[in-house]
Amino acid sequence: MWHLRMRRLAYQRRIAGTALQACWQAPLPSTSSDWRTVSFLVADAEMSSMDANSGELLSVGWVVVENGGINLGSAQHHLIRAENSVGQSATIHNLRDYDLIDANTRDHALGRFLDVAAGKVLVFHNAALDMAFLNKISRREFNAPILMPVVDTLLQEEKLLHREGHVLKPGELRLQGCRDRYGLPHFHGHNALLDALATAELLIALASRRSVGRPLTLAQLL
Amino acid sequence: MTNDTTSPIKGGDGTEKSYPGLETPELITIAEFIQQTLPFNDLPQEILYPVISRIVIQYHCQGDVFDAQTPQRGLRILRSGAVELRDSDNKLLDRLGEGESFHIAGLNAERGEVIATVIEDALCYLVPDEVYGQLRDADRNFDRYFSGQRNRRLRRAARYQPEPNTMMQEVRTVMSTNLLSVAPSETVQQVAQAMAARRVSSAFVVDNDVLVGIVTDRDLRVRVVAKGLGSATPVGEIMTPDLECVDGSETIFATTLLMTQRRFHHLPVKINGVTRGIVTTSDLILAKQDDPVYLVQHISRQHDVQTIKELVSGMANLMVQWVNSGMLAQQVSQVLTAISDAITVRLIQLAEEEFGPAPVPWCWTGFGSQARSEQLLGADQDNGLIIDDSVTEAQLSWYRDVANFVCDGLDEVGYIYCPGGIMAKTDEWRQPLATWQKTVRKWARSPTPAAVMRVSIFFDIRCIYGDCKLAQRLQETMLDQTSRNSIFLAALAANVLDTKPPLGIFRRFVVDRDGEHRSELDLKKRGVLPVTEIVRLHSLAHKIAAVNTDERLKALAAEKHLTIAGSRNLADALHYIQQLRIKHQCEQITRGEKVSNFVNPRDLPKMAKEQLRDAFTIIDEAQSSVRQTYRAGMG
Repeated sequence: MWHLRMRRLAYQRRIAGTALQACWQAPLPSTSSDWRTVSFLVADAEMSSMDANSGELLSVGWVVVENGGINLGSAQHHLIRAENSVGQSATIHNLRDYDLIDANTRDHALGRFLDVAAGKVLVFHNAALDMAFLNKISRREFNAPILMPVVDTLLQEEKLLHREGHVLKPGELRLQGCRDRYGLPHFHGHNALLDALATAELLIALASRRSVGRPLTLAQLL
Repeated sequence: MTNDTTSPIKGGDGTEKSYPGLETPELITIAEFIQQTLPFNDLPQEILYPVISRIVIQYHCQGDVFDAQTPQRGLRILRSGAVELRDSDNKLLDRLGEGESFHIAGLNAERGEVIATVIEDALCYLVPDEVYGQLRDADRNFDRYFSGQRNRRLRRAARYQPEPNTMMQEVRTVMSTNLLSVAPSETVQQVAQAMAARRVSSAFVVDNDVLVGIVTDRDLRVRVVAKGLGSATPVGEIMTPDLECVDGSETIFATTLLMTQRRFHHLPVKINGVTRGIVTTSDLILAKQDDPVYLVQHISRQHDVQTIKELVSGMANLMVQWVNSGMLAQQVSQVLTAISDAITVRLIQLAEEEFGPAPVPWCWTGFGSQARSEQLLGADQDNGLIIDDSVTEAQLSWYRDVANFVCDGLDEVGYIYCPGGIMAKTDEWRQPLATWQKTVRKWARSPTPAAVMRVSIFFDIRCIYGDCKLAQRLQETMLDQTSRNSIFLAALAANVLDTKPPLGIFRRFVVDRDGEHRSELDLKKRGVLPVTEIVRLHSLAHKIAAVNTDERLKALAAEKHLTIAGSRNLADALHYIQQLRIKHQCEQITRGEKVSNFVNPRDLPKMAKEQLRDAFTIIDEAQSSVRQTYRAGMG
């Protein structure tokens, strides 16, 4: 966690008085904490392209995990007004330009996200992609990346399978592929909140399995 | 938009649907799942939707336990996985799967300490207690379901309960409704004939629709025959008048007490003031349902395949109880064989009711483990039918119909068809005695090891029903043909030596390398069958008629074909492996898994591993002796 604090130092001055600063002010959990005592913000985003340079964020959904359980009351879904047409990507996420007319602005969604993220660990399935988009709008907004601790359920699963000497087959690390190994039911994806919910279920499943008869610390998940 | 009370979500046709009360429309996926479960299916949306956001999703791994001390209280709805409920005596109350729910405190109020154990990793929707309480207050049907459900669980639990709770059941549940009524003017002989025809031990004496007395087997013996009264005596003169009755809603416990105190053997049961049945002392003994005797007795009272199937559906759980109460492996397999015998006999009787009596004498035989009385759970069918040689071509269809009826019934009840077709249903194994004998002589004349393996289970033969002399004569032919037939015995020995006990050169367990059970040991194939085969070989060589492995071993020792130590060692090895196999199966049943014969030697405690190795060493030595005796000079 110390290197996060170190990197934040470089941006402290730029972000004074912003929502990002408010988020950073909340104390971070200790990496030696048991996972059940840590609060997680499990999120997912839908974008118009897989490339953060050309693509745009269209929606973000999230849910909070506390005491090892998912609080459905914390579930939120935000549509984001796109600057360009969503184009062909509409076939995947079902968000058309028309649907996004009433959507929120980027900064509104980011503000809400940072409000909830304070003091929590972020969780994504394939974090690099979602974080690239979130950091892109954060840089635009605050001239600084988000710099929060992140758990990547995809990387956790990849490491676990690798350690078991498992030879990966295509699709095994996709969200439903991972869920299948924990007996989690099939879900209807490609909605940011439903994907976030599915990721949260995977998080508690993999953490529960790994903490049978022994503690599992935050450090082991990072 | 999350603050809106009405949330839109796009429908498949692009129109917007709204879900009043849902915090965000995506939660409809959870609401819809919950709406498909009882009793939420009847809960109005305006009550259910606002509480969805109060739900917490949790994941629990196999072995996790919920009891009164579990901190997060509430109703847990299983989204996936499975949970088992047990009372403080570790009796199984219920098994729950997807869409079913449980509430520990609610169950405790009725049952005392209830413990829920996750038997398959589970994703749960936890409805916290304050929300659960709100819902019960808000909707009467919802509330009633949870009171009703507890009663249902209670009844299901009673099925598995020993004495105390069974004794609290209503007496009407065990009464016999096969009633015989006679007039007081009928003679004792007429009444005795009627009783014999109906196979009942008592008759009600009814005068103008009024019950005036009862006459029992005992009355006919004590008051008629012993006193030298004539067979024309009217029954009204010897009946027991002024009958004591019991109400159908009385408990079995109170009824048993009344009957022992007053020394009644028969007691009429009234429901709403009308005589509807009768209980006998033996009915009450049979009410002790976890007793294997009960099961065997009750099978013979069923009138169709379906009720037999229901009766034995709880057999796996019963086996767990017998083993937990200290029943040994040999006894468990004896009881399980007695049950399959009883089912076979009952099915044959039902077939005879359907197709009429047999045209010529015949007998139904069991082969293999059923013949040896060594069946366990999940046994398949191995049976045949021997017909008296006087049978004509035209009469054979009766036997085919009966065989089909019985084999189909056995399959329906759970004894699956023999994969190798060794069943009375197959024409080849439904033959007149002479044909059977001809077949046996053919086997003995040209014994290849492959052929011997195919037929060896026929040498374990036992008459289950009918004229047992036929089975006996076939067995005599078998023994005549095989003893002193050194070529046949050598082929059988080759077959016995084919399965090596799993002791490698480093005295480590060799486990099966293929498929699903890669690192596991097949206790049946590697342990039980080799012993059975060795003992069968010795018995055939020495004309021992017994088929049960223990009895064969005793006979072999008594006739000095085996040393007492050698015979006892093999028996011990077999019992130990069987015990391990049964214990393992009980654990699988308890965990809700499919029963198998595979164990992973690594999972065994050190002591058990040592003992298992001893058992395999004994089998190894017994095989060496087989090699010397039956295959000397053959390599």
